[in-house]
Amino acid sequence: MSDSEATAAAAAAESPEATPGSEDVSPAETPDSSSPTPPDTLTDVAPTRRARRRPEPKPAEEVKEAPKVEEQPAKTPSETTVAQGGWGYWGSWGKSIISSATATVATVGQGLTQVIEKAETSLGIPSPTELSARVEEEEKQEGEAAACETRTETDRATGEGSAAMESAMGMLSSLTSVVQNTGKTVITGGLDALEFIGKKTMDVIAEGDPGFKKTKGLMNRNATLSQVLREAKEREELQTAETEGSDSEKKAVAHYGMLFDEFQGLSHLEALEILSRESESKVKSVLTTLSGDELVQLREELELIKDSFSLFLEFDDEEVDERKDEDGTEFETELTEALEGLSVNATADKLNKACKSACSQITEMSKPAKEEGEEESEEDAQKALSVEEVHAAAIRTLAELTARSIELFHKLAEMILFSNGSPEAGALSQLTVVLCKEISLLSKKFTSCLTTTGSNEKGDVLNPLITGVFLEASNSASYIQDAFQLLMPILEISHIQRRSESSEQ
Amino acid sequence: MAYAYLFKYIIIGDTGVGKSCLLLQFTDKRFQPVHDLTIGVEFGARMITIDGKQIKLQIWDTAGQESFRSITRSYYRGAAGALLVYDITRRDTFNHLTTWLEDARQHSNSNMVIMLIGNKSDLESRREVKKEEGEAFAREHGLIFMETSAKTASNVEEAFINTAKEIYEKIQEGVFDINNEANGIKIGPNHPTTASTLTAGIQTPLTRSGIDKNEVTTLLDLDEDHGVVIFKFAAI
Repeated sequence: MSDSEATAAAAAAESPEATPGSEDVSPAETPDSSSPTPPDTLTDVAPTRRARRRPEPKPAEEVKEAPKVEEQPAKTPSETTVAQGGWGYWGSWGKSIISSATATVATVGQGLTQVIEKAETSLGIPSPTELSARVEEEEKQEGEAAACETRTETDRATGEGSAAMESAMGMLSSLTSVVQNTGKTVITGGLDALEFIGKKTMDVIAEGDPGFKKTKGLMNRNATLSQVLREAKEREELQTAETEGSDSEKKAVAHYGMLFDEFQGLSHLEALEILSRESESKVKSVLTTLSGDELVQLREELELIKDSFSLFLEFDDEEVDERKDEDGTEFETELTEALEGLSVNATADKLNKACKSACSQITEMSKPAKEEGEEESEEDAQKALSVEEVHAAAIRTLAELTARSIELFHKLAEMILFSNGSPEAGALSQLTVVLCKEISLLSKKFTSCLTTTGSNEKGDVLNPLITGVFLEASNSASYIQDAFQLLMPILEISHIQRRSESSEQ
Repeated sequence: MAYAYLFKYIIIGDTGVGKSCLLLQFTDKRFQPVHDLTIGVEFGARMITIDGKQIKLQIWDTAGQESFRSITRSYYRGAAGALLVYDITRRDTFNHLTTWLEDARQHSNSNMVIMLIGNKSDLESRREVKKEEGEAFAREHGLIFMETSAKTASNVEEAFINTAKEIYEKIQEGVFDINNEANGIKIGPNHPTTASTLTAGIQTPLTRSGIDKNEVTTLLDLDEDHGVVIFKFAAI
């Protein structure tokens, strides 16, 4: 973060002495400076935000106007309204992007609730001292924000002519701020516990993304799942690069996004998204060629497919407890059943292997912990795995299983398109349930490993690790469910093709 | 881990010419004589260095079977480079090149760099396609050409890396808009951006916003973390 702090400072130093025409502070971004920084924001995040609020390239007309306006800093209220009107427009535009991104996380639903409950009762809640420290930090930042307000006044005036401006760059900068703002509202509006848990998720979406600011936001108005994941991975890569240089004593942290990419999860997801999107547009174009009864009938048939996707049964987390599945054979049986007749054996094998190795890891980890309970010698404690190592194994397992699950969905999509033999949507949703259950079961096993391994650790070491595992598990489940949804257009087009084949005969 | 650019590649060509073997040799430095038939697409990734910059190659290895063609075509879009592979011991794989090339040109972006590869150069005794023929085809269609052997690893590195070099040069020349991901190029998360590459890449947004590039006089600041570029504009 040292880089961005430096640039932030530089930006702050530059702005007061900004001369007309030489530098133009984006007016669209100014509302950002007046809203308080949320209490849960880590101190290293705030400077980054300020860094973003920096001047942006503007069309030449606006630059020409700038000197005029700055000569009369007492602007009329209407000017402000105009400027804010423009801002508000982009605001709603940006919100749709962030809301589609949040949707991915929101689907976690009960998974997240569970995490929160757990967190409230025992885990990962910041102590009162931490919270008060944060409040202090917040107040400090509010003071800074007030200072920013001063220059904001001139900025707004400068931006008078820019309300109607729809330059690509200007739009991007507003978008950036909106993403931040929306993120803030979501976080500030919640409970402290929710803030703490949700922070990481929001960070991933709202903060972690250099890409939101680039043309990606322009090209692709809907944040796709792979995009969200890729952004998370990029952020992790960035963090790793930074810590490698400055903080060598810190142990290698397990990064879900990077591991997910290593297992080619991102690539499979991207490919699945391509197939899904193409099928979707094919379905649409078929529908435009039809009319009358034919159209009505096809619509009805497609509606049936859609229904089976929206009827996706949320799996009950509590049920999972009843399953033991020490070595992953139960999972294998269920998976084989779900995949019957779907001819994607090679990929299913990879999933089974990943699951079995996870189970054997857990068995291995549970052993030394038991011995430790009997005789607590120093040596034993050293031999046993550290909590960080258990945590890393858990994250790695979740990333691998999720990547393999998405690979499975991708291969299913290819086989469906290839053979035109369409499985029942019900079978696919059953498959999704099996995968999500396994993720949930493994995360529970890993956290109980963490609890035993870390029985001597302090809460502030152990709790964030446990919370982290639950969070990534619920993320994993929602990624899998989203990938399942991507199969819908593929089933639809496959249905249409089979239909036309049979009518030709 | 961090890379300056990510290039997306596709490998295309008839079934059995050794596409998956080339990829395996490049990513894992090993040869597997018997390979499962590729279904749809499989993936590989490797980091290379060009001009002192780390570049990540994300390689999409497509199925060669004719019946998969309609699916694999979907994957062409958004590739910065393509390896078009034939088998020097099977003339029919060479004869099909025109179809493959037409397909690739039709379903990908026009700037895509295409490398023609005559694979299995270790099987000299069974050769059916002369090296000169490959060269001539490449010259005629504006491709780069190489003969490789996935078995002995001969020229495999070069084939992948030379393609990347060509893409890299196109970026420097401003042919590729690096901000448009449809070109199969992504800027890395921690990119030590230079002013020159950025000015090249910024052309499109500037044009879109109605700014003449010549009005941008000075590059004031770069926010590499967030891809924000600050320009100083000449007063008019």
